[in-house]
Amino acid sequence: MIRIENLSVAFDGPEVVKNVSLTIEDAEILGVVGESGSGKSVTALTLMGLAASNARVTTGKIYYDDTLLLEAGKPRDNGLYREFQGDKMSMVFQEPMTSLNPTKKAGTQVEEMLILHAKGMTREERREKVLETFRNVGLQDAERVYGCYPHQLSGGMRQRVMIAMAVILHPGLIVADEPTTALDVSVQNQIMDLLQKINREQKNSLLFITHDLNLARRLCGRIAVMQDGRVVESGPTEEIFENPRQDYTKKLIAAVPKRIGKKKMDQKEGREPEKPPERKKLAEIRDLSVFYRESTGSLFGRSRKKCVVEHADFQIYRGEILGLVGESGCGKTSLSKAILGINRMIEGEVIHYSNAPQMVFQDPYSSLNPVKTVGWLLQEPLRAQGILDPSKEMSPADREAAAYEMLRKVGLEEKYFHRKPSQLSGGQRQRISIGQALITKPGLVIADEPVSALDVTIQAQILELIRSLQAELGTAFLFISHDINVIYQVSDRIMVMRDGKILEIGETEELFRNPKNAYTRELLR
Amino acid sequence: MKKIGAWIKEQNGYFLAGLAMAGLVLVLAVLSFFWTPYSTTAMSAAERFQAPSLGHIFGTDNYGRDIFSRVMDGIGETLFVSSLIVLLSAVTGILVGAFTGYFGGILDEIVMRITDAVNGFPSILLALVAISILGSGKQNLILSLGIVFAPSFIRIVRSEFLRLRDADYIVRARLMGVKKLRILFVHILPNIFSTFWVSVTIGFNNAILAESGMSYLGIGIQPPDASLGKMLSDAQGYLGRAPWYALAPGLAIVWIVLGFSLLSEGIRRKGEAA
Repeated sequence: MIRIENLSVAFDGPEVVKNVSLTIEDAEILGVVGESGSGKSVTALTLMGLAASNARVTTGKIYYDDTLLLEAGKPRDNGLYREFQGDKMSMVFQEPMTSLNPTKKAGTQVEEMLILHAKGMTREERREKVLETFRNVGLQDAERVYGCYPHQLSGGMRQRVMIAMAVILHPGLIVADEPTTALDVSVQNQIMDLLQKINREQKNSLLFITHDLNLARRLCGRIAVMQDGRVVESGPTEEIFENPRQDYTKKLIAAVPKRIGKKKMDQKEGREPEKPPERKKLAEIRDLSVFYRESTGSLFGRSRKKCVVEHADFQIYRGEILGLVGESGCGKTSLSKAILGINRMIEGEVIHYSNAPQMVFQDPYSSLNPVKTVGWLLQEPLRAQGILDPSKEMSPADREAAAYEMLRKVGLEEKYFHRKPSQLSGGQRQRISIGQALITKPGLVIADEPVSALDVTIQAQILELIRSLQAELGTAFLFISHDINVIYQVSDRIMVMRDGKILEIGETEELFRNPKNAYTRELLR
Repeated sequence: MKKIGAWIKEQNGYFLAGLAMAGLVLVLAVLSFFWTPYSTTAMSAAERFQAPSLGHIFGTDNYGRDIFSRVMDGIGETLFVSSLIVLLSAVTGILVGAFTGYFGGILDEIVMRITDAVNGFPSILLALVAISILGSGKQNLILSLGIVFAPSFIRIVRSEFLRLRDADYIVRARLMGVKKLRILFVHILPNIFSTFWVSVTIGFNNAILAESGMSYLGIGIQPPDASLGKMLSDAQGYLGRAPWYALAPGLAIVWIVLGFSLLSEGIRRKGEAA
């Protein structure tokens, strides 16, 4: 149905899509999988005629059925595209917050598709059609959603509205660019089910773009793997997963956190499975509730306290990795801030049996001071320690040696010592962050989603680094993530959190084999 | 030479033009402290109101003094005074802005309301009030304009500190146990320089204009020191007879302000490109 032949696209510089050929059959779901920068989104946008104005198609053609949509060397025929966009092909974007107009009601925005493409419908017919589509995409409360502004809807509902907009005209092709990446796991599951249902019922083709191999495997009949602008491998999904031919595909598949079968990390297997019965407590959280102040908006109104974590009660043991899993807004970050002592609006007790805990943040781009060099950054914790406690003061030479030592431990070469963060990749920055947190040998490091901003192969490397440093230095980690698979891979024990409450805590294998809580089972699905 | 050529190619046009113009101004200013073509005070009745010529490239004034020498001297004086004004207000801005921005609270509220009040008046008017309290003279001019210009620096520094105080890397610095003063001036301050530098150059231009304006009104730099503003007001009476007398200091002011504006725009664009 869609044929992309030898497509190459360049922005001002070199080509970012190189000789890509893809075909999408009727009613099939094709997954395009690749890491960020692999050219998958540019390919989709070019297909949709939505590529930025400085994108140049250098070679290739795109056909829709037998119509030639785009050819290299010729300017894009915007008139032709307007006929196809919406009517015959439509797109669902990643970020539902920014892809809906915040000043217009959801219903009006979807209705606009009908006004533009289905002439001759009366106002009532249009409204009826929109409501019907809303119900089809699982928005039960269609009447209410129709009159809501995007900010009044949850992320999942917004994505459903986007999907309603994409399917209302029954286009032959839907392009979904990372449609679930911005959503929580359980909502993600629902949206995936919905896409599958739409494909089954309406028999339209779906081009599903994702960085997540697990999702592609669940949804797609065929998969194309992209790397550096090229399609390196394509074929039926199971075939690719069973017998990947290219090294890159093998690497990608190996990097995906799995929970079936044995864990692949060696360090984990090397350690004795049974822990000594008396474990030393590192930190004790006793009946901890965390609040934040919610301002009432008026100048003189008293602000209210809102409870975000309720009666948390657990221990962290020396040298363990405790995984904390939960969706966004469940209070996991508030809990970690309370443990660190940043948030003081707490009831209950946090007792540390070790020196001050350190933190690794999610975003590798904002967690290192951009004006300093790597060497300076690694030495700063030691300098601060020396100022606070003169007995721990080190000579400049010792500090520098310790920084070089840590640089080696986190797997970076010496030449990075004098670089600035802006000269490093995301993964390298995260390594420096980890090094900075560990250099003062804290008993506990809290890592808040340390790998969720990273590509999947880099993610695997960082997880391995955390595992090996934990084994080498005996530091305990509180590892926070929304991704249960990542948690499974690194953690000794897992704690499940929802709506500010700790639902379940247990040894990793035990929790996976028989989850006691219904929500945990939903996460493990 | 090759290196310089390559360096020039990397720079943007604003930066190069600004650098050339401001550079010339700086050279003249520094030179004026040691040497001028003629004495700036030597009068000569025989040479009154001479039009620009090879001997006096900007002509002579009503006392027969060489205008080019006096413009040079005026540029030097103006840059010196303006630099001190900017230095005073920028240092005040950094100190006050850093603390109010980082710590916030009631002190922040009070300081912000004061800067609001100061910003509510035209700066020249405020400087006039300050001069009338302190009395005229070079030191008082610097002091009063320095105070008047401080609020804009306080605001810029404060908003930057406010923005960065909850940045991940500052939160981590706090967790490492870095002392507050060190966080303020070692961790945050270097990060605001690109923004701050732009406001310094803008402030410098404003200071030049304000100083010229004050001197024009006769309450700035006092004779016998040369000043571009004072020269303008002196030249006003002879506008028909000796138009070059007014033209020279006027163009000098335009040249200086344009040069530093281009320079600041160039720096801003460089910062954006990086």
